Amino acid sequence: MWYRSASFILDNRQQNVAALAPDTLSISPPGGTTRTSMADTFQNPNPNPVISAYYQTRAAHHGVITSDWLAQAQAATDQNSDPNAISASDVRVSDPDKPFSVIDEFNDWRKQPDLAEAVAAIRALAAVIRSSKATTMMELEIELKKASDSLKSWDETSISLTAGCDLFMRYVTRTAALEYEDFNSAKSRLIERAEKFGEISYKARKVIAMLAQDFIFDGCTILVHGYSRVVLEVLKLAAQNKKLFRVFCTEGRPDRSGLRLSNELAKLDIPVKLLIDSAVAYTMDEVDMVFVGADGVVESGGIINMMGTYQTALVAHSMNKPVYVAAESYKFARLYPLDQKDLAPAPIPIEFGVPVPSKVEIERSARDYTPPQYLTLLFTDLGVLTPSVVSDELIQLYL
Amino acid sequence: MPDVQPLVNGFLSQLKKRKIEGSQATAKQTAEVLRSVISQQRLPHTNQAGALIDAVRAVGEQLIAANPVEIAVGNIVRRVLHIIREEDLSLATDAIAGLGISAGSDDEDDVEQDDHPVLSAAAVAAAARSTLRPPSLQTLLEDMPDSAAVPHTSSSGGESEGKSRSDKGSRGRKLKHDVIEAVNDLIQDISTCHEQIAEQAVEHIHHNEVILTLGSSRTVLEFLCAAKEKKRSFRVFVVEGAPRYQGHVLAKDLAARGLQATVITDSAVFAMISRVNMVIVGAHAVMANGGVIAPVGLNMVALAAQRHAVPFVVLAGSHKLCPLYPHNPEVLLNELRSPSELLDFGEFSDCLDSASGAGSLHVVNPAFDYVPPKLVSLFITDTGGHNPSYMYRLIADYYSADDLVVKGRTTAGS
Repeated sequence: MWYRSASFILDNRQQNVAALAPDTLSISPPGGTTRTSMADTFQNPNPNPVISAYYQTRAAHHGVITSDWLAQAQAATDQNSDPNAISASDVRVSDPDKPFSVIDEFNDWRKQPDLAEAVAAIRALAAVIRSSKATTMMELEIELKKASDSLKSWDETSISLTAGCDLFMRYVTRTAALEYEDFNSAKSRLIERAEKFGEISYKARKVIAMLAQDFIFDGCTILVHGYSRVVLEVLKLAAQNKKLFRVFCTEGRPDRSGLRLSNELAKLDIPVKLLIDSAVAYTMDEVDMVFVGADGVVESGGIINMMGTYQTALVAHSMNKPVYVAAESYKFARLYPLDQKDLAPAPIPIEFGVPVPSKVEIERSARDYTPPQYLTLLFTDLGVLTPSVVSDELIQLYL
Repeated sequence: MPDVQPLVNGFLSQLKKRKIEGSQATAKQTAEVLRSVISQQRLPHTNQAGALIDAVRAVGEQLIAANPVEIAVGNIVRRVLHIIREEDLSLATDAIAGLGISAGSDDEDDVEQDDHPVLSAAAVAAAARSTLRPPSLQTLLEDMPDSAAVPHTSSSGGESEGKSRSDKGSRGRKLKHDVIEAVNDLIQDISTCHEQIAEQAVEHIHHNEVILTLGSSRTVLEFLCAAKEKKRSFRVFVVEGAPRYQGHVLAKDLAARGLQATVITDSAVFAMISRVNMVIVGAHAVMANGGVIAPVGLNMVALAAQRHAVPFVVLAGSHKLCPLYPHNPEVLLNELRSPSELLDFGEFSDCLDSASGAGSLHVVNPAFDYVPPKLVSLFITDTGGHNPSYMYRLIADYYSADDLVVKGRTTAGS
């Protein structure tokens, strides 16, 4: 996988910057107008790389919800769910004669806030299979490869999207078409498996929550960073099992997802304390363990997660506190970042509340990479793993 | 089953009263008890493996509950369960392979079973891939039936091809026979683990080295003597290991075998560690993350060794490998022994009584320490030397994922 090495990414980046349209960055509040700006970028095969679509979606999903955002989301899902049921080939309302677009399909699935990106990708690819007119496995594979590549290039910053696509492609190429004489039965089997994958996502979170229960003991203090649906599930189950614990929740600038998480936790009657991101070291000695989710788990066993995770892990490690990661197994990606700049850049808009002079640069990256030596254990649906097991799993699958 | 109950009860009471010392002896006896359970178990015609698994689980749950701190009991129970699943699967794949040959000659069955051999072979192949290996990314998208049901389907798959009843009976006997053979191999491995570990001693101990050890471990004794046999000359510092002072026993044994031994107190470890080349210790149990449950005092030695960059080597037989993760090992996996080992009751009895209000004296005597994996440099098992981060691999080889929680089922059949 040499094309993921640092120098190649740098070259790629420069090409993208050169080919770019002028900056359409609009600093919008993580609320209603995000939807329309994203709708504009649907037409582009390469959306505006100055803003990472993945992190924008997350900000929209997990940032503080405003009521008109709710109304817009509702309207969006209602509008598009019916055409989906009727014919998979006609998704875009404006242009009914255009051929099936996997990207639109993907975006429709992705609107559901509880659905993971990888699952949305796999469902979109299942739709490709359903609407495909191929008659042999080879043709189908080629179509899928094209669809998968276009999905990946649409949003290069989303790791779980890439991982999900790769996983499904791997499954398709490995599935013995040899097992099935009949192409149609093979095709229907692929579709059935892909649909089942959505259930796996929910089940995975439950499995992870169960595995993590033993590690939460009565009277413990947990520090949480970033809004992860898996971590929320873990804490929910612990509360249901009547464990006594309290949670420190970082604010999670710039999308303030920590505020949203603290709301959810307060609803579950879990004692929550909000911290600003800079207060992590200050409170770390009261903390017993750190729980984070992951946007992606890389080959070295490290994780890529919201900006601030690396910092928290460093502080926890220096004070001998365990750092636990809760991530589903389809987030394992074939990436090996050597340092922070090795990741594809994923910028998001950051407001400071006051106007910033134009000659001042702003670090806009939405995520960072935490190396494996700062992580203690990963809770996945494959079991409790130490970071060194991750590369083993990936090798078993891909090689 | 009635024949074997007194044996099980006898073992249970021994475990409860802590009459059996040492994980090797416990492991061996557990394996022998389970072997008797298996040989006495009458198997039904269908799903023999499921019945065996249930029987072993029921007994295993009782054994583990009798002494939860003796981790070797749980390890052996899980090993035996894994053996049963493995043997059943290999029998099923053999049966299918045999059927593939015989189906061609059997005319009457040919027509109905046109698709069946192909599909069931694929099903068994899928089962083989997914059952025994722990869940992995590969199996994520493939069929994921209940792994508990798979031994059922594979064995019933073998039966649905219309074999005669006598064949089913012979398959059942064969399964038992294979499982008992495998359990005998396991017992053999447990008995000879010291020799296999000691064979590797020459690679690790060199001339004029100073080795440090704590307490008395038979594995360590054999290890050091094997190096002595190969004409390496070295010195041993033996930390006495209060309050049981088993280091004294080890030092006497080493001196008797011609090695130069020096006894030091636990408190002198930090002072002497800079003159030591290597620390070699035994373990009570090794957990899935590479952490070690070891006799008390070893965490201190490990910290001293890390501080002075001295390699910390742990010797452990494979019956000590446990597939569980330690989430609160200092409390849950520890045992508090009698305080009389520290203080005689008579001398301090007035201080121990807190009701008098004059102040109270508590005596805590933990038996074990937890050494985190980052302090361990190398594990030497009977299969060779390994990194702590590699232990999960060995565990995946020896155990099945379904057996992590050993709970006897109340309903018959799986």
